Amino acid sequence: MLLLQQLVNSVMLGSVYVTVAVAFTLTIGILNFLNFTIPTLFMLAGMIGWALAERGLPFGLSGPLPWPLALLVAVAVAILASLVVERFTFRYLKARYGDATEHAIPLVSSLGFLLIIENLVRIAYGTDSQRFPGPEANLTVEIGGLFVRLPQIVSLVAVLAIVAALSLLLKRSRIGRGLRAIAENPDAATILGVDVNRIVPVVFVLTGLLCGLAGVLFAINYGEVSPAMGDDVGTKAIAGMVVGGLGSIWGAVAGGLIVGLTETMTINYFGADTVQVAVWGLLLLVLFVRPQGLFGHNAIGKGKL
Amino acid sequence: MLLEAEGLSVTYGRTRAVASVDLAVGEGEIVTVLGANGAGKTSLLRALQGAVKPSRGRIVLGGRDVTAQSSAARVRGGMVLVPEGRQIFVSMSVHENLLMGAYLRRDGSADADIAAIYERFPNLARRRDMKASVLSGGEQQMLAIGRALVARPRLVMLDEPSLGLSPLFVEQLFSLLRDLNRDGIAILLVEQNTTMALELASRGYVFELGEVVLEGSSDRLLGDEALVAAYLGGAAPLPPPNHPGP
Repeated sequence: MLLLQQLVNSVMLGSVYVTVAVAFTLTIGILNFLNFTIPTLFMLAGMIGWALAERGLPFGLSGPLPWPLALLVAVAVAILASLVVERFTFRYLKARYGDATEHAIPLVSSLGFLLIIENLVRIAYGTDSQRFPGPEANLTVEIGGLFVRLPQIVSLVAVLAIVAALSLLLKRSRIGRGLRAIAENPDAATILGVDVNRIVPVVFVLTGLLCGLAGVLFAINYGEVSPAMGDDVGTKAIAGMVVGGLGSIWGAVAGGLIVGLTETMTINYFGADTVQVAVWGLLLLVLFVRPQGLFGHNAIGKGKL
Repeated sequence: MLLEAEGLSVTYGRTRAVASVDLAVGEGEIVTVLGANGAGKTSLLRALQGAVKPSRGRIVLGGRDVTAQSSAARVRGGMVLVPEGRQIFVSMSVHENLLMGAYLRRDGSADADIAAIYERFPNLARRRDMKASVLSGGEQQMLAIGRALVARPRLVMLDEPSLGLSPLFVEQLFSLLRDLNRDGIAILLVEQNTTMALELASRGYVFELGEVVLEGSSDRLLGDEALVAAYLGGAAPLPPPNHPGP
C-alpha cells in the first residue's frame, strides 16, 4: 500500500516534469534549440502567481488577488516573457545573421535570459521560499486507502489533455504541418510560403503556456515557490526528455513520469541525497542501452518532431 | 510579362553568383536557363522565389514589384519553385506533402486539386498515407511537382528536375511539363539536358559565371549548338583530329 501511495505521489511530481519536458521537446524538435529560459519561465509563473495572490499588483495598485486569478495572470506573464525571449534571442539574431546563429548563439543568449530573469525576481522578491496561498480546504480524497489530493488529479488530467491537444495540433492542423515542415527543412518550407517569422512565435507561445501551467501546478500542489524552483525541475525535465527520446512528445511524457517515479522511489528507499545520482544514472544507463531514448526516433540525436 | 527580373544580382560574401541579369517569362511561356555547374542558375531561381535576398535589382511578378516581399507573397502571386534535389518532406506522408503545397490557400478547395494530382500520378495515390521517404527518385520528383501544383501557380520554376532520373522518367517528366503548359502554366526550367530543354522551351538563356552570355529563341540556340556547347562546357564537337604525316 505504501508503494502504491508512492506511485500516486510520483505521478503528480512527474506531471510537472512532463509539462516542462514537453516544452523542451517542442523547441528542440522544431527549432533545434535547447531553450534554457524554460526553467525560468516555470519559476516566473510560480513567483508571479505568489506575488499577485499574496501582495497584489505592483506599486500598491491592488490588494491581494484571488489565487485563481493570480495564477491566470501568471501564465499570461510566462507567455509574454517567452515572446520577449523569442524576439531578442532567436528572431533578432536569425534575421540578421541567418544560419550562422544556429545552435550555440540562441542557446547562450537564452542562458543569459535565464540568469537575468531569475535574478530580477530575486531582486524584487528576495531569495527565500514563499508559501503559496492556494486552496484552503482539505481537498484530499481517499480512494481504496490511497490519499489523492484533488488539485493533483485536476493537474494530471489538465497536463494530459494539453499534451494530447498539442500532439493533435502538430499532427492534424495546418499550423502543425507548417511547424513540422520548418523542423524538417526550413528552406523548402519557406519556398512553399511558410513564413518562419510568423510561425516561430507559435512555438514560444506554446512554450510559455506549458511552463506557466507547470509553474502554476507546482504552486498549487506543493504550496511553496522560490526563485530557485526552476533549477531542479528544469534539469530533471531535460533528463526526462532524453530518457523518453528526443523528437517525441509522448516520449517526453513517459520520460517525465519515469523521472518522477525514480525520484519518489529513491527518496523513499535511499533518502533525498541519492536522487540526483539515481536520475542521472538512469539517464546514462538509458543512453548506453538505447541511445535514441525509449520512444525517440531511430536516428540517434535527431530530435525533429 | 508574367515575371521580369531587371539587373538582378546575388552576392554571397564576396562571391557574385548572379550578376545583373535581365530575364523575363511571359504568360504561358516556357523558358529555359542553361549553363554549366556553378553558373548561378540555382541562385537565380532562389532569388526569384525569395529564398535569398538579391543584392541588387528588381523582381516584378504579374506587374507587382515583389523584390522586398516574402516568399509567401510570391507563392500567393502565383509563382512556385520546385527546388533542386526535390526537397520533399520525408518525415511526412505523401498526402501531407501535397497539403503543404496548399499551405497558403484559404479557399478550401485544395482537395479537388490534390485529387487531380492523384489522378495524374496513380503511384502517389497508392502511397498516399506512407512516408514520402519510401518513394523512388522519380516518384519523389512527381511529388515535388505535384506539391507545387497544389498551390495553383501561374508560373512553375524547376531546378534540374531530371537530375538522377532514369531515361523513362525523364521522358515522363518532359511530357508532364508539356501538359502543364497546355493548361496555361508558364514554366521556367533550369536543365542540364540542354537539347531536351531547348526542344521544350520557346526561348532560352545561357549563363556563364552568373551572367547571361547568350539568349534567344530555342530554334536559334539549337541551331547554334557549337556556341551553346562552348558555354556549357564539355559537349563541344571536337575539331577534326590533326593526323601527323607518316
